Amino acid sequence: MNFPIWELHWAGGGLLIALISVFHVYIAHFAVGGGLFLVLTELLAYRRQSPEIMDYAKRHTKFFLLVTMVLGGITGVGIWFIISLVAPAATVSLIHTFVFGWAIEWVFFLGEIVSLFIYYYTFGRMSRRNHLAMGWLYFFFGWMSLFMINGIIGFMLTPGDWPATRDFWDGFFNPTFWPALVFRTCIALMFAGLYGFVTATWEKDAPTRETMVRYCALWLLLPFGVLLLSGWWYLQVLPEGPRAMILGANPEIAPFLKGFVQISALLFAGGLAMAIRMPAAVKRPMAVTLLVIGLLYMGCFEWMREAGRRPYLIYGHMYSNAILAGTEEAISKQGFLATSGWNRNQEVTPDNALDAGKEIFRGQCASCHSIGGPLNDIKPLTAVFGRFAMESMIRGMGKIHSYMPRFAGTELERGALASYIVEGLHGKKTAAAEALARPEAALEIPPFDAENCKYVLLAWCTLGEKCISDSDAHFSFLPPGSALVAQLVRRDTRPEIVTQAVKLTYLPPAGFENPSKHVDFWKYAPSLLGKELPANVSAKGLGLSGEMKLNEKNLTFVADGIPVLPYPDGGGVNPYPVFTIEARDASSGELLAMTRVVAPISTEIGCRKCHGGEWRRDGVTGISALTASDVLARHDRRHKTNLLIQAEGGKPVLCQSCHPDPLLNAAGKPELLNLPASIHGFHANYMTGMEDALACHACHPTGPDSHTRCARGVHASQAGLTCVNCHGTLEDHALSLLKAEKEAGKAKADRLMRHIKPRLVATVEEISPRQPWKDEPDCLTCHLDFAAPQGDSAFNHWVRGPEGLYRTRSDDAGLMCEACHGPTHAEYPAVNPFHPDLDAIQPLQYQGAPGPIGSGGNCAVCHTEEMLDEFHHPNILGGK
Amino acid sequence: MDPTRLIPQALPIPVEWGWFYLFQVLTFILHILVMNVMLGASIIALVHHLRGKRETEPLTTTISVKLPFTIAFAVNFGVAPLLFMQVLYGQFLYTSSVLMAVYWLAVVGLVIAAYGSAYIYDFRYPSLGGLKTVFIGVTTACLLATAFIFTNNMTLMLNPETWTGYFDNPGGTILNLSDPTVLPRFLHIVASSTALGGLALALIYSCRTSDPQATHWIRHGMNWYAFSTVVQMALGLWFLTALPERISHLLLGGSLPHTLVFAAGATLGIFSISNALRYNVRTTAIISVTTISLMVYLRDMVRDAYLSPYFQVSDRVVTGEYLPFVLFVLTLAAGLVIVAWMLKTASTDTEVRS
Repeated sequence: MNFPIWELHWAGGGLLIALISVFHVYIAHFAVGGGLFLVLTELLAYRRQSPEIMDYAKRHTKFFLLVTMVLGGITGVGIWFIISLVAPAATVSLIHTFVFGWAIEWVFFLGEIVSLFIYYYTFGRMSRRNHLAMGWLYFFFGWMSLFMINGIIGFMLTPGDWPATRDFWDGFFNPTFWPALVFRTCIALMFAGLYGFVTATWEKDAPTRETMVRYCALWLLLPFGVLLLSGWWYLQVLPEGPRAMILGANPEIAPFLKGFVQISALLFAGGLAMAIRMPAAVKRPMAVTLLVIGLLYMGCFEWMREAGRRPYLIYGHMYSNAILAGTEEAISKQGFLATSGWNRNQEVTPDNALDAGKEIFRGQCASCHSIGGPLNDIKPLTAVFGRFAMESMIRGMGKIHSYMPRFAGTELERGALASYIVEGLHGKKTAAAEALARPEAALEIPPFDAENCKYVLLAWCTLGEKCISDSDAHFSFLPPGSALVAQLVRRDTRPEIVTQAVKLTYLPPAGFENPSKHVDFWKYAPSLLGKELPANVSAKGLGLSGEMKLNEKNLTFVADGIPVLPYPDGGGVNPYPVFTIEARDASSGELLAMTRVVAPISTEIGCRKCHGGEWRRDGVTGISALTASDVLARHDRRHKTNLLIQAEGGKPVLCQSCHPDPLLNAAGKPELLNLPASIHGFHANYMTGMEDALACHACHPTGPDSHTRCARGVHASQAGLTCVNCHGTLEDHALSLLKAEKEAGKAKADRLMRHIKPRLVATVEEISPRQPWKDEPDCLTCHLDFAAPQGDSAFNHWVRGPEGLYRTRSDDAGLMCEACHGPTHAEYPAVNPFHPDLDAIQPLQYQGAPGPIGSGGNCAVCHTEEMLDEFHHPNILGGK
Repeated sequence: MDPTRLIPQALPIPVEWGWFYLFQVLTFILHILVMNVMLGASIIALVHHLRGKRETEPLTTTISVKLPFTIAFAVNFGVAPLLFMQVLYGQFLYTSSVLMAVYWLAVVGLVIAAYGSAYIYDFRYPSLGGLKTVFIGVTTACLLATAFIFTNNMTLMLNPETWTGYFDNPGGTILNLSDPTVLPRFLHIVASSTALGGLALALIYSCRTSDPQATHWIRHGMNWYAFSTVVQMALGLWFLTALPERISHLLLGGSLPHTLVFAAGATLGIFSISNALRYNVRTTAIISVTTISLMVYLRDMVRDAYLSPYFQVSDRVVTGEYLPFVLFVLTLAAGLVIVAWMLKTASTDTEVRS
């Protein structure tokens, strides 16, 4: 609309409007109800032939005249002034749409002034009939003013058909017109009683005082029933959007809704209490207190009504920041700064980012957010954000939680706004990523005598990177419990997988035996898992060392649930502890084979990047208490949970206690989204449009700058692939998970999907839905017939698990894929950041080369004669 | 920077622009009359209290009783023209208001203070003693400040080329002090106020036929009118010379309508002085109201001349939504009938004791 914007800083965010409006509206309702109070009180005096009541009526009229004319009348003009200063575009729109509505109201205002002056100044000097007629006329004019204003105010919340028809009457007699009129009339009558208390309690004559206070109490109490009914009616006719806002979708409203309900009860009780005979010295402060409570009551209601139309000023037509609904896309293309000549910077350049950001803040944020002021202060709301988080927040605004408008501007403008808030307002500097010093791991390749060894022991961790949430005092969604799997092969001309008469054990490296020293998982296990756990034993009953169990179906030995952590007793962080696996003769105990294997384990989950706080351990990994608290606080705020209070009371929860998750076989609450869909779906709305796998790296320890750098397999280290090649971008990934949930009938999926646009395919329809952990990218998408890869994208080609998954599949001989090729994300030949060969112990042990077992013609690892036929899988001999 | 880039878009209006123009001018005449009486009467009262002469007590008592009414009606009659003007010139007025937002909003507080103080001055008059000067002083000072703020806004809105000051000061504390017309325009209106204040007092006392001092106060009021009008005319000349040449040229022969209205208004103004000095109250009042009406119309013509490089008031999209307009006219007519009945009843039925 191209108006200049008054820079208010502390007083921004609508503070001035709120102060003037609530004050005015409180008096304005009194001016309406109080008019009826005047004539009815005069009539009461006639009926009871009471000069005392008549004196009271006259005194009250003087009080009424002063309050409504001096304070009420002028602050009414004041509202007009302040809205035109703070929201000129909306005010101009209201004026143009309803100019004759305002003009009619002005006529009533004139009538009010004339009738009230005559009513007061002729008190006792005019005939009864005419004087009462003046009073009735005043009430009529006052109520008609309410009638007019009610239509225009209601229009802003519920414009009805107006946006389509632009018809005066459609806007005026809008859906909430009648219930609001009844509601406000009741409030007006009640306030007549409230104000009446003030003059009545100051009445010197005790019997008259009691009579009038009780009379006022009736005014306060009698309309309550209709008030509540009309309030209910009001809510019923509200369209779904505003109703949801008022009933909880807008956390800003919640305390005011609560306040309104509580003050309703308080006022009712106050009205009853005032009817009890008490000395004036008690009743006077009570009357004043009730008057102040009434102001708060009005404030709560008006706040709910105002905030109920978020993110609009005129619902569905104009956003709170004066941007017209439907123009966001065009503004995003052309740039926001260029939409108004009032911006000094018409585009963002490298030199003006902060100043341009300030102007964008002024144009898009300042109408609701103050800077350091009492209303919606932007500073605490953004205190935890760095540049990345701030920009993510801006990207996601108005998408899931619709009480804020979506950002309208170019990428550069978004960046400039983020810079202004983070650097300009908070004074934070965006630090360059520091290179992390990783201690080089000691690598000891176990011996293997190719001539004499009878066995080959292959072992791996099923996940190339097992992540653990070490925020146990607050929440857990990835409790400790890694899985090591091994297969023992007897070397021969026709090798055999051995499953009988042998015993396989696993042993952690020194210093990793006591994970319970480093995290609170065991302390909070009763709350997280519902049962006590012995220290250093996982939920599945496994310790750090023990015997592996035979899985006859897969011909494997498994230790599923080793509670290993990346925290050695000696300090530091080691995400790649090397376990020792031994195979012994079950009866003699003779050592048949021994190998070592990395059990990759990381707590490097990047919640802190947006939720604030530092890393929990050594500045490189772990979820700190501060970070975890922020996660819970936001969850609580959005979803009406009490997770933070629970956690602070020593009762943290497992996220999967509500959210289903196949990883933990958690049923959760079936109506809720499963955890991966929920987390990815929610965050994809914020971390959208990011280059390649940047969004993945923000949370997972996958990025090249991460301490763990878990993507170390051949795909990442040699082929240059990223998460995106197989899983899609965060948006694609999230949509694939959400779509499955949507198809399962979960309505919430839609809410998260609404603004996510796929990037690797054109439309959501083309996305193939998938279950988390069960359906994963199919290796054979690129490796057709196990041959060298063709193409580099496996997204949307899911292998349906769990049977078909890489980690559960075997070749034709019964060897698991991972046995020879290594675990997912660390496929041989892998390059580990802590030691290049750490993930290649077995290839190096058995064949002296880091590639897959048997690759490069190394059939002799198992086969004692040369192999010419392809076995295990097609193309095995042709593979590189 | 090209100031046209700073001017917001004008929205469509429901009925032809002339209706808004008509109602704006008519209601503004009412406002300016009552506002002048209000400000002028409070200045006159303040002057008398400062001089401290006991014999002027009847006059200041009269002012104390009437002043709150004038404030109430000045506000009410100010709302209507401001509303209609916003429809026609909102894109200019809202912009200048934002530029001087702090002062513009202060008007609300100033008027409340003036009004409240006026009521104390009225209701507590007999017991205030020396404080009377303080309360009428607060009222006068607040009203003068309000007038000065209005003068600033009404001129700032006409000068888009000065709006670029916003880039260095977006905090709403810009005044239009660099405009040479602001001071003479403000003083011109203050002088007009003391003139109208004096005329109003003369009219009040001319109705009080039984008051033996009536003639004295009528003459006193008419003297205020005459001398203020002389001063006002001098200030008007200053105002005229301060106007940009392209505007003053229109008034001095460059445009027939402008020149005619200006000449008629000025001539009637001079004519009213001679009537006032002859204490011819009713004739002076009629001439004065006519002069003011012409000057108000001239004021609008000057505004349009100022804005002519950017905007033609007649060049608007009309949506043709007439029903609300008709309803307003009917409501206004009915309202005026009721108001007339109320006033008549109040004047004829105030002796009966209930």
